[in-house]
Amino acid sequence: ENSPAPLPERAIYGFALFLGSWFGFILYLIWAYIPETWLFSLGLTYWPQKYWAVALPTYLLVAIGIGYILLFGINMMSTAPLNSTHTITDNYAKKQQQKKYQEEAIPALRDIPISEVNRMFFLPEK
Amino acid sequence: MEERQYRSASGAPIALRRRQHSASCRELAVRCPRLQLRSLSAVTSTVWLAAYGLFALSENSMVLSAAIFITLVGLIIYLHFVKVDQESLLVIGSLGIQVTSSYASGKESTTFIEMSQVKDVVINEAIHMQKVIYYLCILLQDPGDPQGVSEVVPLFQSSKPRLDCLIELYKSCQEILEQGRTDPQVE
Repeated sequence: ENSPAPLPERAIYGFALFLGSWFGFILYLIWAYIPETWLFSLGLTYWPQKYWAVALPTYLLVAIGIGYILLFGINMMSTAPLNSTHTITDNYAKKQQQKKYQEEAIPALRDIPISEVNRMFFLPEK
Repeated sequence: MEERQYRSASGAPIALRRRQHSASCRELAVRCPRLQLRSLSAVTSTVWLAAYGLFALSENSMVLSAAIFITLVGLIIYLHFVKVDQESLLVIGSLGIQVTSSYASGKESTTFIEMSQVKDVVINEAIHMQKVIYYLCILLQDPGDPQGVSEVVPLFQSSKPRLDCLIELYKSCQEILEQGRTDPQVE
């Protein structure tokens, strides 16, 4: 049902997008380069200022650059500090129920408290 | 009393000193690396070169005296508030845990945590500044919930020992804490 294989519909979408993006690019080049007087003489008067032909790409690139730094900063801000209890437990672990222990069955999956984990890792004598 | 050399998380050499005062009282002290002369002179020369560059641009001699003043004041603030010389942990079995930080200027800051508030001393791992580090921390008991942890107090934040040193610290603390747990039942 949902496979990434090529389909006729996907080919048509792809070709439509290809033509559309070429058309948009040629339109942008016309708007940016052809002098205003020539466009006026053709009757095309209601176009945005040419200032925007330079301003919009600049805005976009600066936004992408800031986005890198912003993402980095957001990651650092949402990392729990070293003195928060979120490094040890969370709501799901606090509310978990203990399943009854059955003989010869694999024990149920649960969050093991950090004290137990520490004892198992760092304390065994031999 | 013994002293052993270890490494901090960033690779600087640190020293762990263990003293057993009595059967239920132990002191663990971690000494951080000293302020290096070469880093101090590097920072001072860059600040003074930058000030000289500003003076060459602006022809204002106040820039030079301001730079000297800033360097002196900055060094004093750094030694008094930032540069930790030694961090120590005093675990007294039935009484509590005392955490002391001694700064390079001689200032000592102490925190005492009663044993009834201490749930456990564990080695936790967490993300810190694009690294995953191990650190020793005291888990404080939540008064309402016997299984809950109300607060986490990280220890040895300036020296940041590596896992081998932390395991020694952990074992020492656990020996004292276990005495406190088993003794009341014996009596």
